[in-house]
Amino acid sequence: MFWLTSIVAIVATLLAISRLNATHALLYLIVSFLSVAVLFLQLGAPFVAAIEVIVYAGAIMVLFVFVIMLLNLGPHAVEGERQLLPPHAWIGPGLLAAVLLLELLMPLSNNQFIPTTGTAKHADHSTIPTIPTEAAPQLQERMVVGPKEVGIKLFSTYLLAVELAGFLLLAGLVGAFHIGREEPRTSAKPGAMEVPSQEGPA
Amino acid sequence: MNTTDLIALSPLLIVGLSAVAILLLISLRRNHRAVATLALGGLALAMASIPQAAAVAPHHIAPLMMADGYALFYSALLLAASFVVGLLSFDYLEQRGEQREEYYVLLLLATLGGLVLVGANHFVSLFLGLEILSVAIYVMVAYARSSPLAAETGIKYLILAGTSSAFMVFGMALVYAQTGTLEFGPMAAQLMQMEDFGLALPGMAMMLVGVGFKLAVVPFHMWTPEVYQGAPVPVTAFVATVSKGAMFALLLRFFAAFEADEAQPIMNILGLLAIASMLAGNLLALLEDNVKRLLAYSSIAHLGYVLVAFLAESSFGDEAVTFYLVAYFISTLAAFGVISVLSDGKSEADRMEDFRGLYWRRPMLATLMTAALLSLAGIPLTTGFVAKFAVVAAGVKAALWVPVFALALGSAIGLYYYLRLVVVMLSPVNPTDDSNSEATATDDAMSTRAPNPAILRPKKVPIGPAFALSILAIFLLGLGVLPTPLMDFIKSSVSELR
Amino acid sequence: MNPIPMEQSLMVAAMLFSLGLIGLLVRRNVIFMLISIEIMLNAAGLAFVVAGSHWQAADGQVMFLFIITMAAAEVAIGLALVLRLQSDLPTLDVDAMDQLKGGDDA
Repeated sequence: MFWLTSIVAIVATLLAISRLNATHALLYLIVSFLSVAVLFLQLGAPFVAAIEVIVYAGAIMVLFVFVIMLLNLGPHAVEGERQLLPPHAWIGPGLLAAVLLLELLMPLSNNQFIPTTGTAKHADHSTIPTIPTEAAPQLQERMVVGPKEVGIKLFSTYLLAVELAGFLLLAGLVGAFHIGREEPRTSAKPGAMEVPSQEGPA
Repeated sequence: MNTTDLIALSPLLIVGLSAVAILLLISLRRNHRAVATLALGGLALAMASIPQAAAVAPHHIAPLMMADGYALFYSALLLAASFVVGLLSFDYLEQRGEQREEYYVLLLLATLGGLVLVGANHFVSLFLGLEILSVAIYVMVAYARSSPLAAETGIKYLILAGTSSAFMVFGMALVYAQTGTLEFGPMAAQLMQMEDFGLALPGMAMMLVGVGFKLAVVPFHMWTPEVYQGAPVPVTAFVATVSKGAMFALLLRFFAAFEADEAQPIMNILGLLAIASMLAGNLLALLEDNVKRLLAYSSIAHLGYVLVAFLAESSFGDEAVTFYLVAYFISTLAAFGVISVLSDGKSEADRMEDFRGLYWRRPMLATLMTAALLSLAGIPLTTGFVAKFAVVAAGVKAALWVPVFALALGSAIGLYYYLRLVVVMLSPVNPTDDSNSEATATDDAMSTRAPNPAILRPKKVPIGPAFALSILAIFLLGLGVLPTPLMDFIKSSVSELR
Repeated sequence: MNPIPMEQSLMVAAMLFSLGLIGLLVRRNVIFMLISIEIMLNAAGLAFVVAGSHWQAADGQVMFLFIITMAAAEVAIGLALVLRLQSDLPTLDVDAMDQLKGGDDA
């Protein structure tokens, strides 16, 4: 099951980055996000699985769809993309990313990375009853970390962080408002911007 | 959350509340002057609350933040820099017919992000602080909507910063996978007990991509000249100082938790980055005719210098880093302050030509610019000299011969382009009766309309920037002559770090 | 439910991240570049959830929530900038954005 979902996720992502039509790419991307959500479920994280579907595959993708509609990217855009994207353009970046991937996969495929010393004392770090961490790779049964644990953690330990996240969203909101605001046509033209300029006081 | 937590966090709370208060004020009435006053007042109040917070320091606001002398020192530095940027911004924005009030919300939020970053003791606060800072800066960089460059600069910065954030977060995830903790202290303790870092090593390397991007060290420096050039001058000053300073403070705190030999592979990478930055930054600056881009390359080199002191990994090195950052803040803000005052509603004074003969037109500004440039070059009697001396001393003490040699070489190259700008400011206004007229044939067409007539016309410096610039001038020379009090203060502040 | 070893899940995350990076480097259209950044951030979030699941702690999921918050804020601003660019320039090709003098590096 895990491998099937992973393969779906990887193939969908591959298709998403290689489509010429932005809408098609988005559809594949949504499939990719949905399969990642299934992965979350399999990893025992149902809460973030729901969030992934609602926020990523839902809200953020809708934003993309809106903008693509507003931009009115039709068949000519696909043609333009084709010109921008000769097959050989994939070689260099592909190799670079492959090197990075190899560097990441190598320590992962060596089994020795699983910490064996000095980690047992850390078991108390988790909020729920847990098995000793040495046994973690050989788990017979994976515990589900549900919405309740996440919520408790979020609003006790990470309360300050939640408030900071609020400021982060505020910055995004104010920023998107300022940049996206419809300007009166007169001052949108570069030449017209001197008109309202005034001498500074003092 | 108890009262002590709140007192320790009071600078952050005040800055955050001021941002919200400004939003409310804007919804009632749009008034640039009132909003700017509120923003500057908030920053000043936050600064005034630091002694209160220092009374309860060191205080650990579990588990996210650390309010110790180190964090508070850097908080004061960031607040002061934001204050100066705010003063410069008011007159800069006043000359442009834009919707100006939101700028201050973003300025305060970015400062808040920086304050979180210097106190961060945990991956979550690191990430959130960094992102509040970045998201606010995306918009500030693209704030001048009427400028044709704004959106382009903004999107370039956003894509690169977003990529570096993604690298950073993925790196954090790998470190977390290895250690099982997100807190700096326990994480270092965990890693120290392992015979090798395992996944944490690629994780930290990926985090360095994110850090390197924010600090704009080679090879993650590509955005710097473009963003410096395309952003409004006060924003450039902000990116050059607050954003980089906060990130460096965090880097120092993160690695202070490790013992020297444990993090050796990472230190080797950072050493290479430092050497590359010092040489590439200075060499690329030689080719520049745009003053903002020139300062961009110079800032790349300066971050390389600071990294040398960082590599020393000693208390002495920490002090040198902190002093150097203070000196860099002062010099950079002074240089950008002069550019900001010289700019008018139509264009920015960022071409070399705009500075020709500045001594004969605006002697005060030209003198300050010269002092700032000499400080950046590390000439005696300026803070830059003392700072560079401290960095070299820290490097020599730790026997970092190759980086110190690169530092000396870089400084020698740097002297050339700083002095070139000084010479341009000294040379006569009209280039035709001057030997400089041979510059290039293509430049002749340019020089007929340059320098910008608005810059030629002497004009009174508005009170805000005048105040900011005089304070900077006092510190620029004062700390160069009498560095000891600040040195001692830094020593007592950063001593808790290791 | 079958246990999933952490290494394998992290490998999937690493692959998704690399695909995002390839997309970012190859595509020259700003919208596709933003999509690629989303893929990379999503992969990082996956890695955090995997690690959190390995340690049986909620911290990984908490971090994922913050990552998604940041992704939303970033996309909102990025897309607003894209709309602005579209009205200024006829194309979303980043190589066409050369009004900023440069080209000595990059």
